[in-house]
Amino acid sequence: MSDASIENEDIPLEVVSDVDQTWQDTVRSLVNAYVLVPGRIMITDYRALLGFGIVFGYLFVGTVGVWLMEPTTMWDGDRLVQSFETMAHPLGTDPQGRDILTLLVYGTRPILLMMLSGGLFIITIGTAIGTVAGFSRGRLDQILSMITDVALTIPGLPLVIVLAVTLNPESPVLIGILLAINGWGGLARNLRSQVLSIREEDYVEAAKAMNVSTGNVLLKDVLPNMMPYILYNFMSSMRGVLFASVGLYYLGVLPYSQENWGVLLEQAYSGGALTTWSMFHWIFWPIVAVVILSIGLILLSQSTDKLFNPRVRARHE
Amino acid sequence: MNGRWLLKRIGMSLLVVWSTITLTFALIRLMPGSPISRMRAELYQQYGATMTQAEIDRQVRLYLNVQPDEPLWQQYITYLLDTFQGDLGHSYVQGIEVTVILADVLPWTVLLLSIAIMFQYTIGILLGASMAYAEGSRFDFLSTSVSTFLVSVPFYVFAFLLIFFFVFQWDLFPQGGKYSTGLEAGSLAFYRSVLYHATLPIVSLVITGFGGIALSMRANSIQTLGSDYIRGAQLRGLSNFRISYRYVARNAILPLYTGLLIQIGFLFGGAVILEQIFSYRGIGYVLLDATLYRDYPLMMGTFMVITIAVVVGVFVADLTYGKLDPRIQTGDSQ
Amino acid sequence: MSQQVVAQENILELRDVTVSFGMNRGVSKVLDDVSIDIHRGEILGVVGESGSGKSMLASALLDAVVDPGTVDGEVSYRTDSGETVDILDLEDEELRQLRWEEIAMVFQGAMSFFNPTMKIRGHFLETLKAHDQDVDEGMEHARELLTDLHLEPDRVFDTFPHELSGGMKQRALIALSLILEPNVLVMDEPTAALDLLMQRSILTLLDDLQEKYDLTIVFITHDLPLVKDLCDRIAVMYAFDVMEVFPAGDLSNSTHPYTRSLLNAVPNLTTSLDELRSIEGSAPDPVDIPSGCSYHPRCPLSTPECEQEDPPLEEIAPDQEVACWHHEKVDEELPLALETSDGGSAEVYEGNQSDEPVVVMDDIEVHFETDDGGLLSLFDDPEIVRAVDGVDLEIYENDVVAIVGESGCGKTTFGKTAVGLQEPTGGSVRYRGQDIWETKRGEGTGDRSYDEIRRALQIIHQDPGSSLNPNRKVSSILQVPMKSWQSDLDVEDRKARLLAMLEAAGMSPPEDYADRYPHQLSGGEKQRVALIRALLMNPDLILADEAVSALDVSMRVDMMDLMLTLQDLFDTSYLFISHNLTNARYLAGRAGGRIAVMYLGEIIEIGPAEEIVQNPQHPYTQALHWSTTDLDSNSEGEADESPIRAIDVPDPIDPPSGCRFHPRCPEAREVCATEKPSLDSGTDHCTACFREYSEDHPYWDSEPLGEETIGAHVGGESS
Ligand code: SF4
Ligand code: SF4
Repeated sequence: MSDASIENEDIPLEVVSDVDQTWQDTVRSLVNAYVLVPGRIMITDYRALLGFGIVFGYLFVGTVGVWLMEPTTMWDGDRLVQSFETMAHPLGTDPQGRDILTLLVYGTRPILLMMLSGGLFIITIGTAIGTVAGFSRGRLDQILSMITDVALTIPGLPLVIVLAVTLNPESPVLIGILLAINGWGGLARNLRSQVLSIREEDYVEAAKAMNVSTGNVLLKDVLPNMMPYILYNFMSSMRGVLFASVGLYYLGVLPYSQENWGVLLEQAYSGGALTTWSMFHWIFWPIVAVVILSIGLILLSQSTDKLFNPRVRARHE
Repeated sequence: MNGRWLLKRIGMSLLVVWSTITLTFALIRLMPGSPISRMRAELYQQYGATMTQAEIDRQVRLYLNVQPDEPLWQQYITYLLDTFQGDLGHSYVQGIEVTVILADVLPWTVLLLSIAIMFQYTIGILLGASMAYAEGSRFDFLSTSVSTFLVSVPFYVFAFLLIFFFVFQWDLFPQGGKYSTGLEAGSLAFYRSVLYHATLPIVSLVITGFGGIALSMRANSIQTLGSDYIRGAQLRGLSNFRISYRYVARNAILPLYTGLLIQIGFLFGGAVILEQIFSYRGIGYVLLDATLYRDYPLMMGTFMVITIAVVVGVFVADLTYGKLDPRIQTGDSQ
Repeated sequence: MSQQVVAQENILELRDVTVSFGMNRGVSKVLDDVSIDIHRGEILGVVGESGSGKSMLASALLDAVVDPGTVDGEVSYRTDSGETVDILDLEDEELRQLRWEEIAMVFQGAMSFFNPTMKIRGHFLETLKAHDQDVDEGMEHARELLTDLHLEPDRVFDTFPHELSGGMKQRALIALSLILEPNVLVMDEPTAALDLLMQRSILTLLDDLQEKYDLTIVFITHDLPLVKDLCDRIAVMYAFDVMEVFPAGDLSNSTHPYTRSLLNAVPNLTTSLDELRSIEGSAPDPVDIPSGCSYHPRCPLSTPECEQEDPPLEEIAPDQEVACWHHEKVDEELPLALETSDGGSAEVYEGNQSDEPVVVMDDIEVHFETDDGGLLSLFDDPEIVRAVDGVDLEIYENDVVAIVGESGCGKTTFGKTAVGLQEPTGGSVRYRGQDIWETKRGEGTGDRSYDEIRRALQIIHQDPGSSLNPNRKVSSILQVPMKSWQSDLDVEDRKARLLAMLEAAGMSPPEDYADRYPHQLSGGEKQRVALIRALLMNPDLILADEAVSALDVSMRVDMMDLMLTLQDLFDTSYLFISHNLTNARYLAGRAGGRIAVMYLGEIIEIGPAEEIVQNPQHPYTQALHWSTTDLDSNSEGEADESPIRAIDVPDPIDPPSGCRFHPRCPEAREVCATEKPSLDSGTDHCTACFREYSEDHPYWDSEPLGEETIGAHVGGESS
């Protein structure tokens, strides 16, 4: 590492290149960064793979599955067929003879929609408020932090109940947002403190010295550092929306146009499914549907940290 | 304790309460198809022309604490003052004061939840710390897997399973209620019955709650165990016991507090579902009841009281945190 | 001290001590068959660069190597009663008692040695109780120790660790380590995180404590000059083994090529600047130590014999051992630079400063409000920290100005103000005559745009770990400056240019480096990338904030040379910030620049680099000069007395009245407490001290404020 080698004619400020980068190169590097590398990292981790498989499976059922199956109606089969008795009704039927598997499949879509809209709402609002609060000094920060603290303290479920009753929304997307209405507080508070410390990092100051715009600093220097946490939060928020929606449908306080797992749960519970073994499968399968999806989300969320860690990435390029 | 810090916490609590009151006011007054117009319509339907406009307004005022003919800001001030004085209006269905109804049910919910929180944290902390000490062992792997699984189960699911097995299959516990009837309040048998009835709800909260706490306690403890002051304490020849409780536990517990603050709100919210499943007439049960009957005054009042309960819970937790972490007292919070 | 002990007795003897870790790349020996004796009552300095195994030596002495490392060999300890125990053979309980009662240890990362949730008193109490000592007596001893270390026992006992400054924490820790009256104190880089002046002050106190309590001290450090005066003997470690042991008094005693090269690479205040040479190559990997003499790939004297056979440590004089086949040739082939230099007048690098100032700062003030940003802070009266208080400075083209001062003196804030990254609360910063902040707000009258000014002023930070975004590759990091002001370049042009720059900075093959993430670079390489990034903006002024402090000693000269070479090519100026007079001297001296000394937000002395170093006028500058050991002096085992009256820097929220240095100044008189000296101007070398004023100034008739200096009242028996 000798420095004596530098001569005046080496001044590299004048160097230009004679090759042009084609758009194929750009696409290739993008695919590499966002598909291949995460894929390679995921393959090395069976938990991530399992989580990914589960979540993808539900997505498949919620989209394509609905097309493959006829909707079930009353007296499709005998009443209360047990699980695994006939191929026609693998999970059995309810007291009205409806096929439980079909009910579950058709119930997947509204639940997924709610989770997705709620999760997106939480990370959008949480990230926006958290980063802006952390990056702006003074009054704006104080006001946003105050709002965050309020959102964090007001108990979510009662607020949602009160709002749902007063506003009466119907579409799953709106209900998802309603369920997430104050779920962004934790994310915003945490991101704010993360931004506060990232903002003090030297490379952010160097970027400022290089006249990089605030937007670009946030996008290139601040956000990538928080991405694992935001993604993690996306998964756990979706899980929160899942739990809340099923719970509130079970209570019967949310309006619906299509039966979902929570509604099934409510029908089963009030139909007395908990009282005897012969009806237990009626309430059991919706529960299984909820729990497995939730496990999938947890497994996936545990691996997000790896996907973005440059140390791990460097080993998979 | 640092006075400024205390003042800050109190200010924050008041702010939350004020926001909640404002929110309920907005819901009552400003929403289209709001409780006021509904109530008017119903009163009008019920009494027709026999009731004057003024009389209808008086009724609305009595139940909802809102005077429809006043200018908006005046209504708001009146509402705010009434609420702060503890006047939450009258139940529309039962006709009695909301505060009376709530004073009756709130202690039951608080009882249920505080016992649950205590158990959740005791089990979670102990388990998490042992997992950290045994990091990498079979026990650690097993407990981590079980904890992760339990986190993925919503508490009401567990409640269903408990009811199915312990109530209907094995008949070990009552399905619902707060205590058996016919017992003299205050007697030993009465308290036994209270605990007996509270067991299943508490268990379903504890089982699904301790896993997450154990996992974060494990991570915090592992981090603490690797820190310089632990190594220093070992070199100074302190006993393992002292190191584990005064060094590891004390420092690993601190980060759990953020979770506790959220947990308090979460549990109070969850009480709505929990109490419905176990027909346990606490404040969550009342909220659901009011909702289903569209008893707006009771609904809004219950919502407010739940919020206040959470605020108080968070405040108390904050106070103990200030006691545990010296960095808070001098104002150098993280 | 060694020379007073008639029959030298070894208190610790290490024989073939090896520490190894099993790793998936193979077994890694982080201590390789070390044998060394430690005399009773001596101070032994163990010196080595990072990764030389010196910390492992400390852990091995106490059998405290962290899992999964294993220690083999023999560490015998001779107790007061003359028994010998092998520390590595002790039972757990015996070991527990030996530690701290016989041998105490202050290890690296001492700043976090205290439990953050327990007051300092608790740490003393629990240690006494754990060793079944009389608590009252022990606490009395603790008080005495704390007083000896210039701390107020009652105040310190009642604070939590986070309420103490670094220097105070360090001293409290030394007191804690001596609470059970051990015979041996092992210290692993105990002062590395502190300012030089604080380090030296602590060493002075340590010297007195050693005498008062009859201690044997093993002092482990990367900084040879620092401990030279303190120690009786110095052991030099390289590649996990001891290379040589020699009496510390005279550095020319050293006979190992590595020690010589190390000494010649360290910037100091006397060696001629042109004599400094960095060591080529890098230290070996613990898994893959070169055969034969482990230093042979880098050794200028290496012969085939050296590659074949590992030289043993052999005694060549009393108290002196060396492991080198050719140690007799060292004096001839590798003379110590400080001996050959003619007393320090340095040849000045041909600076071509013009008279036109690039940046002019006029009466700069930066006051911060302490504010925790939380709710209700609206109601509080914020406390005001006066980070910078009325400073003027002009920086010319191709200039180098070094700002020197202790941490907290406002030097970094001042530097950031100079490059327009910190808005001053008072005064003005002008770039080529145009006010930066007015231009930014669009009020300026000049014709330069803010973008242009922004491009011209760049920064390099202190901490290599934080100066590069860990999520971006080097190539992406280095494209930012070009994207910012050369939008006509396309991707390929940018890449070609950054590769050329990497090559020019000695990082080849550049394609390989461009494709790395920051964590795949060494500290020195990260700093090079940061320097390239700044230079790619083609700036007129670069703020280099402690840019070399985090690097290993032998790397610093390298980095500074690169900075100077590139300065020549890019026509840029440096504002160099340092707590260390030697680095400042090297950089500013070679470029014919100036050194400015800052204290509590003010510049108290400024002048040409060599002037300030050779002829400091202000008592504070003299103290800084004192804190930088004179490598040339032959004093032995005796850190001389500190020239300041108080160790700790006053709170910048409430700076002292009058001359801000008066509470610590040895020359302070009553006038100094009420009146403030101003920086006399007109000459090249300005000093803000009444002692520079004419004879008729009231200072000369005023009463002195106090005589005692640090070290004078410890023990009372100091020489
Ligand atoms: S033994 Fe040879 S290679 Fe090793 S230090 Fe001596 S001369 Fe250099
Ligand atoms: S003015 Fe007085 S106190 Fe200040 S440096 Fe000079 S002699 Fe010391």
